[in-house]
Amino acid sequence: MSHNKILGFDAYNLNFAVLMILTAVEVVAVALTFSMKGVVSMDTVVFILISVGVVKLLGIAGIFMHLWGEEDSKIMTMTALFPVFFIIVMILFIGLTHPGATDTLPSWCRPGFYYGS
Amino acid sequence: MSYGERSDAHDDHHGWHTPHNSWAPILLAFGSSIFLMWFAKVFTQAWSIEEDAWEYAVNTGELWGVFAGLGVFMAGVVIFWRQDWGHDGSFEAKAEGAPFKHIDLRKVAVWMFLMSEMIVFSTLFTTYIRYRTGIVNCEELFASGLFEAGQACWLPASYFIAEGGVHQEHANAALGFMPDTLIPGAINTFALIVSSYTVVMALKTAHNKELSDAERSRKVGVYLLCTMILASMFLMFKLIEWFVGFEIGDHEHPFFYAPSLLSDGFSIHASEYTYCAEWDHHLDACVAGQSAVFDVRMAASTFYVTTGTHGVHVLGGVVALIYMTIKAFRGGYTPRNAVSIEYFGLYWHFVDLVWVLVFPAFYLF
Repeated sequence: MSHNKILGFDAYNLNFAVLMILTAVEVVAVALTFSMKGVVSMDTVVFILISVGVVKLLGIAGIFMHLWGEEDSKIMTMTALFPVFFIIVMILFIGLTHPGATDTLPSWCRPGFYYGS
Repeated sequence: MSYGERSDAHDDHHGWHTPHNSWAPILLAFGSSIFLMWFAKVFTQAWSIEEDAWEYAVNTGELWGVFAGLGVFMAGVVIFWRQDWGHDGSFEAKAEGAPFKHIDLRKVAVWMFLMSEMIVFSTLFTTYIRYRTGIVNCEELFASGLFEAGQACWLPASYFIAEGGVHQEHANAALGFMPDTLIPGAINTFALIVSSYTVVMALKTAHNKELSDAERSRKVGVYLLCTMILASMFLMFKLIEWFVGFEIGDHEHPFFYAPSLLSDGFSIHASEYTYCAEWDHHLDACVAGQSAVFDVRMAASTFYVTTGTHGVHVLGGVVALIYMTIKAFRGGYTPRNAVSIEYFGLYWHFVDLVWVLVFPAFYLF
């Protein structure tokens, strides 16, 4: 590791502490919607979950997986991001296509299809 | 077989054996492909017109393919084990061409593998998003009053876990603000994060030249052992959450009560799940007129396939950790030979990273 310190703290230790705190935030946010039904909206919870999730992803990939601060970090990050193009295509053009798509799947793509039947 | 062993008698001009090309990766990939293809042939379902119901079958005639796949996979594991056991890190092949020039070939290979893994989990998430947005929510469907008995709708796993389903209108007796059913998943999330930390600490310790060999080996071994225990705990909680459930304390007034998802009726066969919009805790039954029969198999299948695929990856990590822990206690990892921990760590952090997405998407939302 070429980056041992962040703000004077050990990078691994700091990242670990941040990840633990953020996970606690996730769980507490959902628990609050359970115990305070009608007070905390689901939209707020989804926003918190997505925001916290992104920060956790960056922490794990950047520090634990060494995609930040090392000699080969740049090329490895580009390598890691390569599938993102396909992931975006999948999510945009399959995951978020018209709602009727699930009802109009071909028979070979629906439950119950078996090659022998 | 030694891998990269120093030898005065058989060197390659530098005093080192260069590593042999390994069949292990291709055998592991080929074996797992055969296993998965035949696994899908063994466990099938089909619609029976005579019975007017789904029929689930185990085609034992296709089992040979499953075992053949496992056999090839195990051959790959054995070859890998024989080659890696004696590897002392003296030779690490580097890429010579752009864009990975001077980077360890094995590191590039691990990242290539992780790229394929990203696609695997992305297809599962895309499926989840597709169905979640495309199929009407059961609670909304019931509230609209415009439904038919047995109609297919989406009842997310979080209905049983974060909301507690019909069991958990009240919070946990001790914590007071969250349902019992959420606790195993929450513990697992923390367990994976801690295990990611213990892996990087194992790597950091293996790089530490100030420690004696014996102390370094012991510490690296302990860190890897902790990782293995946490990963095993993750799998144990997962199985309890799916199949067994928790009940601690008096049966009438339990201190902790988290029924299994299967006992709640959340299964891949749940074509006739009885949804209850309002539960009467005094009568311990659904309020009259507040229930409906729905088909929730799509939500259950998506949940079990995604979390199951992740669980299989954790299991693979446990198998690798057993080997690595033994090697660590025997002094197999030194400052010169710590890259194996780094490469395993990449895989393990990826598994953690996937859980970072799975947990909120399936357990909380």
